[in-house]
Amino acid sequence: MKSKKCVAMLLAGGQGSRLGVLTSKIAKPAVPYGGKYRIIDFPLSNCTNSGIDTVGILTQYKPLELNDYVGSGKPWDLDRNDGGVHILPPYQGQQGGDWYSGTANAIYQNISFIERYNPEYVLILSGDHIYKMDYSEMINSHAQSGAACTIAVLEVSLEEATRFGIMNAHEDGTIYEFEEKPKVPKSNLASMGIYVFNWDKLRKYLVEDEADPNSSNDFGKNIIPAMLNAGELMRVYRFNDYWKDVGTVESLWDANLDLLNPKLNLDLSDKKWRIYSRTGGMPPQYISESAVVENSLITDGCEIYGSLDYSVLFENVTVEPGASVEYSLVMPGAVIQKGAKVRYSIIAENVVVGEDADIGGDPAVVGTEDWGITVVGADLIIGSKAQISANKMITENVEEGAKI
Amino acid sequence: MRTSAVAGIVFANVNDNLLKKLTTKRSMASVPFGGRYRLIDFALSNLVNAGVTNVGIITKENYRSLMDHVGNGIYWDLDRKNGGLYVLPPYSTGGAKRYSGTVDALAGAKDYIKHCNSDYIVICNADVLANVDVSSAIKAHIKNEADITVVYHKGTVFANSGETMLLGLKGDRVTSVDFDSEGGAEAAFSIGITIVGRELLLRLVEGASEEEYTSFNREVIAKKIKQLKVCGFEHSEYVAFMNGTDSYFRASMDLLDADVRRQLFNSERPVFTKTRDDMPTRYGTKAIVNNCFIADGCVIEGTVKNSVLFRGVKVEKGAVVENCILMQETKVGKETQLNNVISDKNAAIGDNMVLKGTAAKKFFIKKNQVL
Repeated sequence: MKSKKCVAMLLAGGQGSRLGVLTSKIAKPAVPYGGKYRIIDFPLSNCTNSGIDTVGILTQYKPLELNDYVGSGKPWDLDRNDGGVHILPPYQGQQGGDWYSGTANAIYQNISFIERYNPEYVLILSGDHIYKMDYSEMINSHAQSGAACTIAVLEVSLEEATRFGIMNAHEDGTIYEFEEKPKVPKSNLASMGIYVFNWDKLRKYLVEDEADPNSSNDFGKNIIPAMLNAGELMRVYRFNDYWKDVGTVESLWDANLDLLNPKLNLDLSDKKWRIYSRTGGMPPQYISESAVVENSLITDGCEIYGSLDYSVLFENVTVEPGASVEYSLVMPGAVIQKGAKVRYSIIAENVVVGEDADIGGDPAVVGTEDWGITVVGADLIIGSKAQISANKMITENVEEGAKI
Repeated sequence: MRTSAVAGIVFANVNDNLLKKLTTKRSMASVPFGGRYRLIDFALSNLVNAGVTNVGIITKENYRSLMDHVGNGIYWDLDRKNGGLYVLPPYSTGGAKRYSGTVDALAGAKDYIKHCNSDYIVICNADVLANVDVSSAIKAHIKNEADITVVYHKGTVFANSGETMLLGLKGDRVTSVDFDSEGGAEAAFSIGITIVGRELLLRLVEGASEEEYTSFNREVIAKKIKQLKVCGFEHSEYVAFMNGTDSYFRASMDLLDADVRRQLFNSERPVFTKTRDDMPTRYGTKAIVNNCFIADGCVIEGTVKNSVLFRGVKVEKGAVVENCILMQETKVGKETQLNNVISDKNAAIGDNMVLKGTAAKKFFIKKNQVL
């Protein structure tokens, strides 16, 4: 097989438990985002736009929808004769097999996949972030510096730094220390979970890590510290554009509403850096005579008869007359029936919100302490006149007139 | 039925001359329609939704935009090893004339018809807007043991049609045909979809060529109505013909009717088209939008009413767009007013302009025109 300069490995096996009911049936990278995308569209589109045509996707948790979505890789131009996209679930060999025990173990178990392409570099990605990035620049910078590993970092505030893996680096970009969620951060360079490794180095450390029974086989906890301790040259690659972790309900909600801010540095209409997605071929959206639509993002297949403000509507959503949706995300196929009110909520796929139901609460009314985004899980039915307050996670059908 | 039992033929250049403003640089088949489609999407989707996997598109001129649109057929799942999509332009061997009628066109596609291995051929015109259950039409054709099945609609015959074929029916059987260009009458009329056995089609086309006939409807079906078993299959749902700027505009505005949308965009028989990976449409803080059919990729900051907007249209603050069809990437500047305007692709209309057509005579802006 032809050698590849770089193979990308996308870690897509995590459960994303902080997204609650949104990931009860699907893996986090398959969670819908921005009206017509899924989170995984961002790393996949970044790969194809960066000239990386060989991508392994490591799956483990609830892979059905993700497998289906990725398919042959056609929407991202990753259906290639040579390379292309490959779904890599855990498998059994002659000596038995195991689930992926950690991020590093997932790559370790697929060493033979990577070696088929004999790459110089391996790019490690995750399916948790919304950003547009030219990986080819990062790989070039890595190649020129002669480092064993380059880690993409983003400057965050020192308060935020306590929530991230922090890279302490010298002025020239050389990393001397890595701290996971430090209480007193020494630097504000947060790891974005994007690594470029020289494959021969990574291979060596993966094999050593696997031999260590006490290791949790994780990049952040084990591989990176081991390489630093061994004195390998490791460097940061600074990134200054929009990047958002969408691992929590609130950050997912936030990152969606970010798209309504035209001043924000996340332009999904940029023809030079398209974000591709698998779309269902719905007809255009219809905005009726009675509709009031402001400050919102609406996708093909929607039928809007009610009012919308500050919301993102995914494919094929119906908002009936007299219904209102504010500061909310309504995912594909959901129906908001007559007179229903939805605010500060995430309504997952195919939910039916019954007539005159009232979902979610305004922080100005509820008070910031009790406030939070209300989430209604996929395929649920909310009975008419049901009332669901702020900060609720709905996992079962709700009866008519119920108060939660 | 085996996969390759039915093949399709689409006439791409039907009645190009009736929609002159939109066909100066494209065929009828590639005329943009309904926010994100080209007319041929309806014919191709009708065929594909009936399980047809082998389609020949007969074209004679202006087919660059058509080729660009259909590509290798991938958006209709027609990128196949077995069958697939064939674009059939005319041969140009030393002064050969271009097709002058449907008989000529079919004769030119003889090699395709010979080699497509099917039992039946479904012939479709690209100037018809309808979501047709072709699968049931084929079943009826077989059950009736028909030689030819014409798909028809009962209703008011459209005015200005080039050559509407009216059917006299006795049950499923077509007993007489007549042709009409005036419109207005109540009748059963062909919607440009005809099913015929492949070998019979070859024989009919060879015979008609020898006789120097030009029209398959007028001179083959009409003349042989007694010898052949010609049957009809009714399509009772929405249908429109693109036979003039008026009918194009009317059909576009029909999309604002929920009933029409339901009949044209049926989830069991979706209409496929080339995808463009636009982001969803963004409505700004001051947007006022009522009774509009809008594709993805638009940014609307102004007022838009009773209009159809294609992908990537931008309407800036203070602009007022009413009763318009704005095609792909049209830009409408600040405080500009448009009424009864049809803009072709990539039109750019500056700030503070007032462009008004009337209901009878639309203001037309050409492709790439800057105003």
